[in-house]
Amino acid sequence: MSLALIAALPFLGALTPALTQRFGRGIATATVALFSAAALLLILQHVPAIMAGQTITTQINWLPTLGLNANFRLDGLALLFALLILGIGLLIQIYARFYLDTSEPYARFLTYLMLFQGAMLGIVLSDNILLLLVFWEMTSLSSFLLIGFWSHLPKARQGARMALATTGAGGLAMIAGLLMLGHVAGGYDLSTILGERAAIQASPLYVPALLLILLGAFTKSAQFPFHYWLPHAMAAPTPVSAYLHSATMVKAGLFLLARLWPVLAGTPEWFWIVTSAGLITMSFAAGVALFKDDLKAILAYSTVSHLGLITFLLGLGTKAAATAAVFHILCHATFKAALFMLAGIVDHATHTRDIRALGGLRRAMPISFALASIATLSMAGIPPLNGFLSKEMMLEEAAHTAPWVIPVLATFAALLSVAYALRFLVYTFLGQAPAYAHAPHDPGAGLWLPPAILAALVVAIGLAPMAMAGWLVDAAASATTGEAVHAHIALWHGLQPPALWMSLAAVGGALVVLGLYPALRAAWDGAHKPDAKAMFDAGMGWLTKTATALTQGLHNGSLSRGFAVGLCSFLALGLYAYLSAPTLPGTRALTQISFAPVVAFGLLMTAALAATALHRKRLLALLLTGIVGLILSASFAYLSAPDLALTQITVEVVTIALMLLALNFLPKTTPRKTAGFRKLRDGGLAVAVGTGVAALAYTLMTREAMFPPISAFHLAQSLPGAGGHNAVNTIIVDFRGYDTYGEIIVLGIAALLIFALTESLLGTRWAVQPDHAAGDEGDAHPVMLQTATRLILPMAMLVGVYLFLRGHNEPGGGFVAGLVFAIGLVLQYIASGQDWAAARRRIPYHAMIGAGVLVASATGIGSFLAGRPFLTSNFTHGHLPPLKDFELATAALFDLGVFLCVLGAVMLALDALARLAKPQEGR
Amino acid sequence: MEVLIAIAIGTLTACGIYLMLRARTFPVILGLSLLSYAVNLFIFISGRIRLDAAPIIADGPYTDPLPQALVLTAIVISFGMTAVLVIMALGAYLTAGHDRIDTEDQHAEDQP
Amino acid sequence: MLTYALTFAIACFALALILNLWRLATAPTMPDRILTVDTMVINIIALIVLYGAKAQSAVSFDAALLLAMTGFVSTVAFCKFLLRGGIIE
Repeated sequence: MSLALIAALPFLGALTPALTQRFGRGIATATVALFSAAALLLILQHVPAIMAGQTITTQINWLPTLGLNANFRLDGLALLFALLILGIGLLIQIYARFYLDTSEPYARFLTYLMLFQGAMLGIVLSDNILLLLVFWEMTSLSSFLLIGFWSHLPKARQGARMALATTGAGGLAMIAGLLMLGHVAGGYDLSTILGERAAIQASPLYVPALLLILLGAFTKSAQFPFHYWLPHAMAAPTPVSAYLHSATMVKAGLFLLARLWPVLAGTPEWFWIVTSAGLITMSFAAGVALFKDDLKAILAYSTVSHLGLITFLLGLGTKAAATAAVFHILCHATFKAALFMLAGIVDHATHTRDIRALGGLRRAMPISFALASIATLSMAGIPPLNGFLSKEMMLEEAAHTAPWVIPVLATFAALLSVAYALRFLVYTFLGQAPAYAHAPHDPGAGLWLPPAILAALVVAIGLAPMAMAGWLVDAAASATTGEAVHAHIALWHGLQPPALWMSLAAVGGALVVLGLYPALRAAWDGAHKPDAKAMFDAGMGWLTKTATALTQGLHNGSLSRGFAVGLCSFLALGLYAYLSAPTLPGTRALTQISFAPVVAFGLLMTAALAATALHRKRLLALLLTGIVGLILSASFAYLSAPDLALTQITVEVVTIALMLLALNFLPKTTPRKTAGFRKLRDGGLAVAVGTGVAALAYTLMTREAMFPPISAFHLAQSLPGAGGHNAVNTIIVDFRGYDTYGEIIVLGIAALLIFALTESLLGTRWAVQPDHAAGDEGDAHPVMLQTATRLILPMAMLVGVYLFLRGHNEPGGGFVAGLVFAIGLVLQYIASGQDWAAARRRIPYHAMIGAGVLVASATGIGSFLAGRPFLTSNFTHGHLPPLKDFELATAALFDLGVFLCVLGAVMLALDALARLAKPQEGR
Repeated sequence: MEVLIAIAIGTLTACGIYLMLRARTFPVILGLSLLSYAVNLFIFISGRIRLDAAPIIADGPYTDPLPQALVLTAIVISFGMTAVLVIMALGAYLTAGHDRIDTEDQHAEDQP
Repeated sequence: MLTYALTFAIACFALALILNLWRLATAPTMPDRILTVDTMVINIIALIVLYGAKAQSAVSFDAALLLAMTGFVSTVAFCKFLLRGGIIE
């Protein structure tokens, strides 16, 4: 539980700024810092166990069927990263408190920062790789928010988008890779995967999985050729850069490489891909950094270079190299975070980050100068600082690796990094001070203290590496390699190691490079360089254009187009299914046919075809559609479905009333203007789909079900289980009562929607005068009709009650009863008018819908009282002398809810349309 | 009988689709009705055809009651759907002044 | 004997449906067509009842009852539409 709590703490902290911001920035910062500090303390409490070689785990089942569990683990590697994330996170919180201007939405910044911290902590603590993926995506999203924090700046927005697009795309690839990995390993928990090295490397999926995972890691850790997003992400506020781009987010990719090192590393594929990516990135980015003038840009390219260095070490695949990698992760985080903060301080003091406009700050800002010297020299790899130690280890490993190009390139990269580091320091703090608009001075302790702490660490680790960091490096390297590692880190190894000579060569070379800098710079400025941003924009532009073209081609907003495209794909899929699999022979005997059904179905098809052919005459087409419905009802009766027959008959009547109400407004004919080609195309498509559906229906009907249908249960249990003879009704109100419950709610919502739309239509100006039918012959409300319909109403209600009451045992039920009532009422509307009917209506239809849903809900909840699940029905046999024995089922109460809802919905819809049809004043 | 019903379903589907591909609201609504008939019938016959076997528990045989229950609610819901579509068509007609569904569809555009 | 009578009656009503169709196709005016459909409803009612009698089952008689009671509502609505334009005024 403890680990899950640790992972949750930053997220909980993310909730607080919204509440605490009113108490000022100090309180808000202190509150979130409290959460980070608590997490840090809880982590530290596990340190002794981890030093003893243990791995702390917490298991929470989340979706065990998918292999997705909220399992957490804390081992040496996770410990190293967790300390960096939380430790530097705390320093960043303090720094940001003093860095950000009072006018900025500070609470939002803290929330984003804590979200990011939680996501990052989640990555390193995850034991389940699916869980890791979830956190991985969260870092992409929260870093997007942080990079784009100054959303009023176009550069910030573009940088954020670029970072999100790149790391997001890599994340997608990584999802596929990790799924493959889990598939091969037979589980998604790291504890499972890490033990399956042989199986994973022997699998044919190894190379694709490796490539996809590397794609994810390289995009996140800005490896060449995906490095371009990191310099553009410098548009973020400096605390964000210091946090995300030195210590945390960009290290997530490296963390993943280290995490999966035991199972993925050691193969030639791994060696060549990872090593060369790292080496190229390391030297290339160091070269670019030398020619940048923006302080943060230099640091960004330097970061890319150092990430390449670590990638290179992990790629070598040896224990010693992995140890060096882990150590450099720690060293780089300390000096680089400090440098970013110092760049922010310089920016604050001088209002520029351009190195050419800076200089001579050593006098004005002595504290900053001291801290920057320590951090920069460490970055350059000058003894006795920690950067020297890890760089020595790197060079030592490179020296022992064939072919010769590797040590040469490594030395070259080291040379360049010395050069840009010195340039960074010299141009900013030494030399002549230009005329600054405001005299620069050292900031308050809030700003310089966080980098000072880091600089102190840089020196301390450099002077006493074994005491300060040896234990952590041992633990992390052991966890990375899966074997016990005891690193020996020291400043002086004697004169034999080649690394010493390579370092010296690097320093000497750097001085030469700086000496030749003006000439080199001229050559660099003159050279043609590919612009990553332009390329990225062009790529994104192409993607957007293609996506738009595809979407427009498939669905340009035209209903007919979208529908036709959908039908074509159905047709193609159906054909593919038909052609690609054998069809079983029909085993079911055909049902005997007789004369009347042939005539009836012939009539049905004729009516349908005629309605289609004559659809321009809308009233006639409606009449013909009515015939289709009529014959369909009779067919249901003939095909042993009396309930369906009843429902279809009644729905048919209300549908026709509805359509006639609509037709009252709409034009009575459709103009004939469609192109012949279009008719042919639509006709062809319709015939093709119709033929397919007919063939499918025939095939279905002539084969027995593959598996015994579940309705055997319904038939068997209808009487003993639900107390009803009508199996259809027991399914509706009992077995599948939940479905029906949803169904009536949907119906009610549809009716309310119609009501709302009518209300809004009544309130707007109409563009056309409704095309009311010409005729106004005869009475509006003929007496004959009025008298007859008023007699019919009680009869209709009687039939409705009858159908309702017997519904559980014979055809009928709430749906039909509601519709019969509705028809009786509609008849009053037709005969006597809306005003007359509305004046006599006691219960509003909304209330009826509401009551229906409430009654159904109450019945469902009632079964809780009996200690059974929602909508469990119960029944008993009643006995009332003049009547036969009858069942009293709670399902009947549910059916009452159905009845009320159906009645209310139908009437609300028709009533709304009728009100629309009334002549309105001033329209 | 099976052949006849299959052809009927096919015809209803084809007619429904053709009407739904028209460019005016009213034929589309009619087409949707026809297509609902076809779909309901199709779901219904997935219980296979059996005459004189209504699923009223007495002394068998019974046809499959489950598709019937599904279709029963589907019939009522398709009424609700048609009603919503009708009011949307009306609203579009009354506010836009015409009853074309695809204002940007060049093929359907009426040439004055 | 009754079976023959029922078969004959069913055949007659089926024939009546065909005649309905004929009338529907050739009817000169809309009211004629509406009347045809009304007749069709009657014929369908008869067919449902006759098939029920033939199968010796009363299950589908409710459908006939309901059709008899509500079938004319559509006719009324259509007529009102033709006469007045709006069916609910």
